[in-house]
Amino acid sequence: MDSDIEMELESDNDGEFDDDYDYYNTGEDCDVERLDPKRADPEYFEYECLTVEDIEKLLNELVEKLNTILQITPSLAKVLLLEHQWNNAAVVEKYRQDANALLVSARIKPPTTAVDAASTSAAAAAQLRLSSSSGYRTSTASSSTSSLTTAASSNPQQQQQSQPQRRMCPVCASTQPNDKFYSLACGHSFCKDCWTIYFETQIFQGISIQIGCMAQQCNVRVPEDLVLTLVTRPVMRDKYQQFAFKDYVKSHPQLRFCPGPNCQIIVQSSEICAKRAICKVCHTGFCFKCGMDYHAPTDCQIIRKWLTKCADDSETANYISAHTKDCPKCHICIEKNGGCNHMQCFNCKHDFCWMCLGDWKTHGSEYYECSRYKDNPNIANESVHVQAREALKKYLHYYERWENHSKSLKLEQQTIDRLRQRINTKVMNGSGTWIDWQYLFNAAALLAKCRYTLQYTYPYAYYMEPGSRKNLFEYQQAQLEAEIENLSWKIERAETTDRAVLENQMDIAEKRRTTLLKDFFPVIVKT
Amino acid sequence: MTAPRRLRKELVDLQESSLKSFRDIKADDDNLLRWTGLIVPDNPPYNKGAFRIEINFPAEYPFKPPKISFKTKIYHPNIDEKGQVCLPIISTENWKPATRTDQVVQALIALINDPEPEHPLRAELAEEFLKDKKKFVKNAEDYTRKHSEKRPAD
Repeated sequence: MDSDIEMELESDNDGEFDDDYDYYNTGEDCDVERLDPKRADPEYFEYECLTVEDIEKLLNELVEKLNTILQITPSLAKVLLLEHQWNNAAVVEKYRQDANALLVSARIKPPTTAVDAASTSAAAAAQLRLSSSSGYRTSTASSSTSSLTTAASSNPQQQQQSQPQRRMCPVCASTQPNDKFYSLACGHSFCKDCWTIYFETQIFQGISIQIGCMAQQCNVRVPEDLVLTLVTRPVMRDKYQQFAFKDYVKSHPQLRFCPGPNCQIIVQSSEICAKRAICKVCHTGFCFKCGMDYHAPTDCQIIRKWLTKCADDSETANYISAHTKDCPKCHICIEKNGGCNHMQCFNCKHDFCWMCLGDWKTHGSEYYECSRYKDNPNIANESVHVQAREALKKYLHYYERWENHSKSLKLEQQTIDRLRQRINTKVMNGSGTWIDWQYLFNAAALLAKCRYTLQYTYPYAYYMEPGSRKNLFEYQQAQLEAEIENLSWKIERAETTDRAVLENQMDIAEKRRTTLLKDFFPVIVKT
Repeated sequence: MTAPRRLRKELVDLQESSLKSFRDIKADDDNLLRWTGLIVPDNPPYNKGAFRIEINFPAEYPFKPPKISFKTKIYHPNIDEKGQVCLPIISTENWKPATRTDQVVQALIALINDPEPEHPLRAELAEEFLKDKKKFVKNAEDYTRKHSEKRPAD
């Protein structure tokens, strides 16, 4: 909503400013405009937010395409595509190489088939067509369902059509006429009622396209059309189709369900990497690769490790890191009520850093070192007990900073709310218009973005091996942190800060963030 | 609906098959869903005794798996102190409606005769089984002598 307003307001700005803006940004000599965003922005990510209907259409198109090439039923095509990450070309190639092996690997046929005539590829191909066009054998002709053929056509020697036989279903132990029996390619035959109850039991447990044959140690899969032929209760049919759709989406490497609560959107991207996708409906942002909260520059495995560790150790950490600290100069108790780590004691006006409690004056950009953890150089010679303490100390160092930035993010949200009220008051009093103060919201949004990245640099640093690369990372992290605190300080004192100074600070902070991501957020792209 | 017919058939089949290693199979008089039987293992250290088990079938049987528990105490890495046993063939994920109770019992007997220390219910016994087999066998034999039932004469 904010960005919409910004856009409108930007274009509504007074003419002179607009002209200047355009003059500097549209010229041929402007480097920024010509840069490929894929190179210029390490977080650039192309994706689409699609609805369930869009995805159904997309998947159906893939299914139809495969149907046309291989002449098979949609039900079979879906299984083959599911097993091959929806890669049409891969299915077609495997089919041409060895259709029988393809069907076995997709669990459509058992490893050693009853019909061993299908040993040659040509025969298997013919069988694929036969089995796909015919479906599931019943023992005598079933008149109602056209997709089901009689066993008589496939095993004529066992059938005497004039004399309907009866046999016992191994599941319910009841004797029934042959035409009540259905079997898959494996030939295990069970009565219609048992199949139906079995399907409903499985669907109730959330299983859909993975439903297998009822025989012990048989893993042949039950295709969609047999389930939908036998299961007639609308509730169960719907459930089956919902679960199947979920499985189809999950098996497609380019699709992700939006993790937002009750959100139906599915995000699609051809670039499968740990970049941020933002749902256009519920505005949830998440890592496209792992579906968790976006975590650049840390990668998916490391962040999972970190979060697990934090969940395990959080009690200790909470106990040790209190929410209040004493002023290092006058020792009055201070509660941190803003996001900025540059603290000024309300009592003695001493400026200090919340993290290290050092004098803020020493936190010039070059000397800002309190984000860096200093290893005890003699650690290898110390006792196990001391090493354990040191390990805890190291973890707490990173955890406190991680937790602190997370809290700061929340506190800065409150700062924005207060800012909004203050601006309202100003506008009411006639000092400037609402438009004049919009830049403050942009600054606050940018601050949140930068601090978010900064928060996620701590798990990254925690798991980094010591060395020159870690030194460089922590140097850049310190630079970013210093600029973020500067920005936060300026935003909290927005009325007394010059707009140009603030915008300059925004630019510096964002540049530091981008530089760090460019150097340390190497996204491995799999397509 | 399905359960009683199928269970009656399975019970008759099992009783008629007269297995050497699974005997004395009975359903409760008033409850066909609860069976008991006696496991008679062949391999040491369990071949000096016999073990009473209980099989409980759910009302949805055979669409849901039965549960097995040991009524006789046994010193075994895959069976805990309460008599619970972890048998993959009757886990919810692996269960197949066509699996018969005699197949389940065969799998159980195989597990008794050859423990699987890789996925134990009693980690300390699994460790002993792997690291000090002699001690394990001795403990199991002593335990069997003390707690198990008498083996049938034939």
